[in-house]
Order: sequence, then C-alpha cells, then structure tokens
Amino acid sequence: MSAVALTVNGKAVTGDVDPRTLLVQFLRENLRLTGTHVGCDTSQCGACVVHVNGKAVKACTVFVWQIEGANVTTIEGLANPNGPLHPMQEAFREHHGLQCGYCTPGMIMTAVDMVNRKGHDLDDPTIRHELEGNLCRCTGYHNIVKAIAAGAKAMAKGHAQHQT
Amino acid sequence: MSATGIGAAVRRKEDQRFVTGKGHYTDDVNRAGQCYAYFLRSPHAHAKIKTIDSKAAAAMPGVLAVLTGAELAADKIGNLICGWMITSKDGSQMKMAPHPAIAHGKVNYVGDAVAVVIAETLSQAKDAAEKVKVDYQLLPAVADPAKAQGQGALQIHEVAARNTIYQWHLGDANAVGAAFRAAKHVTKLDLINNRLVPNAIEPRAAIGEYDAGSDSLTLWNTTQNPHVARLVMSAFVGLAPEHKLRVIAPDVGGAQNRPAGKVGGRALRGIPHRCPWPRPCHARGDGVRRRRQDHRSARQDHRQSRRLYVDVFVLGADLSLRHVALRPV
Repeated sequence: MSAVALTVNGKAVTGDVDPRTLLVQFLRENLRLTGTHVGCDTSQCGACVVHVNGKAVKACTVFVWQIEGANVTTIEGLANPNGPLHPMQEAFREHHGLQCGYCTPGMIMTAVDMVNRKGHDLDDPTIRHELEGNLCRCTGYHNIVKAIAAGAKAMAKGHAQHQT
Repeated sequence: MSATGIGAAVRRKEDQRFVTGKGHYTDDVNRAGQCYAYFLRSPHAHAKIKTIDSKAAAAMPGVLAVLTGAELAADKIGNLICGWMITSKDGSQMKMAPHPAIAHGKVNYVGDAVAVVIAETLSQAKDAAEKVKVDYQLLPAVADPAKAQGQGALQIHEVAARNTIYQWHLGDANAVGAAFRAAKHVTKLDLINNRLVPNAIEPRAAIGEYDAGSDSLTLWNTTQNPHVARLVMSAFVGLAPEHKLRVIAPDVGGAQNRPAGKVGGRALRGIPHRCPWPRPCHARGDGVRRRRQDHRSARQDHRQSRRLYVDVFVLGADLSLRHVALRPV
C-alpha cells in the first residue's frame, strides 16, 4: 500500500492505496467523486478527463501516486455546488451537446482546457481537432462542437468565481 | 425556464446532473459492504474444460468465492435465452444451444467465461483470478463463417448442423423470379456485411444485492429494458419470482444497437447462496479491462457476427440499369 496526498477540488485529501490504483479509481472509489467516468481500457475515449495542475489529463492513464501533491479539478469542482453552472456546462445544456451524458464530463473538462490553451474564439476545425481524444457514441459531435464554440465565447465574459 | 406553446424549445431536465457529474450510472452505485466480481475468460476459441482448480485462488486475500459452471448447474441457475427468436424459412424454430452464464464443459469462443472470482476489492479478485488453474483440451476452431457452414466443418453445438442456427428470407420469390427472367442484365456480386460489436460508451455493469429479511433481490443494471430483464431473470434464469426481484435501470450510457440477445453477467449478480454471507456484488470490468470484457461478453449480433460476411448475390437490372431484383445465390 502507498500513501498519497493531493488536493482535489480545493480540498486536501489523503489515501493509503494499492500502488496500482489509477487516478480515476481513486477519484471514483476512494473519494466517491463519480462524475469522472471510465469508458474504455485504451485511453482513447476521454470520459476520464480531469485537470491536474491546470492541464487536461486522462485520469485512467495516471497512477494516483504519480501526481502526489498535485492540484486536481474534476467535473464536480468546475462550478460552485450551490452556484450557477460554469459557462461551458451551461453551453452544453443550451446547445443539446449531450444525450446519455456519459462522455459529457470528459468533454466539458477537455473543452475548458481547450479554451485555456487556444483562447475564446474557436473555429470548428480547431474544436474538432482538439476533440480527438474524446469519443461520443450518441450525438455525432455536431452539437458538442456548437456547445464548445458558444461556451468558449461565454467564458470570455469573465465569470470570475469559476476556477478555470 | 418554462416552455409553452407550439414551437417553444423544451429543455431537457436530466442535463443538470449530467453536466455537473452527478449522474447515477450503474458503476456509480455503491452499496454498503459490497464485494466485487471478476470474470476469468477463455483464451481459446474452442476447447474442452477438463478441470478447474481454484484452491489457490480461493485462499488469496479478500476472496469470498470462486464460482464455475459446476456451481451454476448445482444451484440450478437457468441458462440464458435469446431475446429474439427467428423462424427459419422452412418454418422451423431457431436452433438454440443451451447457454449457461458461465461455460460448463466446453468453451466456444475467446472470452467465454469459465469462472467468476468474488472478492472484497476488484484488485483482489483480479489477482486471485490469475491463480485459477484451468486445464483446457484444445479443439479445432473455425472463425470464418463460410468455412463454418461448409462441408466437413466441426459442429460446435449439437443442435445446429452446419453451425447454422437459422435460414431466413424476406420477399416474394415468385415476383423476384419473374423480375430476373425479364431483366436485361443479371450480374453476380460479393456483398460484405461487417461484424458488429456493440459499443455504448458506458461499459456494461451490474450490481446484485440480496436482502435476507425479505428474501428478495435487487439488481442494478446498464439496461434500457428493466422489465424484460426482470422477466428473463425470473422466468428463465430462475433467480427469484418476479415479485421478489427488482431490476433498476439507473442512468444508462447508451445502448448503441446492442441486440436483444443474452447478457451473462447480470444473471450472476443474483447468486447469493454461495457467498459466505449475502453481500451486494458489484461486477464490471475494472478501469483497465473494462472495454475488453465488454466486447468479450456482449452477445454480438448473431446475424452479423462474422469477421467477414461475404455473401454472393445475384442482381438483376433493367435497360436503364435500375435494380429490379436481388437474390442470394
């Protein structure tokens, strides 16, 4: 067993886990943050995307001990639990960017990271290229792309209380 | 935001929990004291199971039970059924071989489950599964559908000669025959239907919980049809009478054309007797194995379950090259 300590959604957490424990397992099973999903076993689907020290990371591809001391944000930590939705979350809802919802947390976390890196004015080819690491089996991606374009613009309007 | 009037946009209600990560998919369910199941699957396409030695596995830390087809049969757990029976063109019923949830005696495909390990944690179950010793006697295997139906091919199931479970057709033979006779041009084509592997983004999962106080079972499952699941589990697999079996379909991550066939995993969730005490049992592939387990266990579309489904068709066309008739050779 190995001891780990990190910060998740602003809270300090610790654990004593089998060293084979992936970050996604630690989040889902130890912390009961089940918004981060597992949809494959090849790191292709992106349903597990979280932010580690501000960057998008596939939580299925990282052992939790590898990010000892890091700052992790999951879909649950994107917006204040009692406050309004993060503009990207709101954009997915407004533009019907989801159906079953299983890929959605990963899509939203990837989208926010995309805006952080590429800015607020994202064109279709850019969004589609940046979404290579995220799969969706329901929507055909069209509304996801629209949602991300709109969410990117909305994030520019400066919602200061969100931790992006 | 209320919507009224024709043409008003009606916003979905479920998106609130989906965009905030508060959905309740089957694997999100966590029951107090739950244990975990891991399936050991055959690496061989066709083999006799000579012996299964699970003594070492059963002694591993955290292991509660190692169950095989033998226990399934002893507990009189019914076989899985096919959800959609086809009648052949000669009027006979589809040739259905017995299909237990865990293979008994023989494995018929790579991925056929031979044992299930139940342990306190999934890692313990997986570690113990590696210690289960299965002695296989390899048998010849055939993966090409045309060869499987050909002369001299090894018959996999007693009931299905030429490995053919049904021969089905649709249409008006007389009208088609007439159209061919009148066609200006008739040609032969090889048409390929690819194999289908259902791939909803949520891998399948199931949790079974037995309540001794009321002698009833609850099953959480990634199903979009809980009523049929309950009927099948009750009437065919025989887990419990329907009024003692509750099937819950929580949020589900898509079905993507998974055909109405059999799902073995869920039958096993309701076997409380063999565990030392009734504990909720949670089964899904672990993060690493999940998708592979899903492919190997999902009953793929039998009509299309061929690597390369090449059929030879005859196509008739009229003068202006409009198709008038299509018939398999």
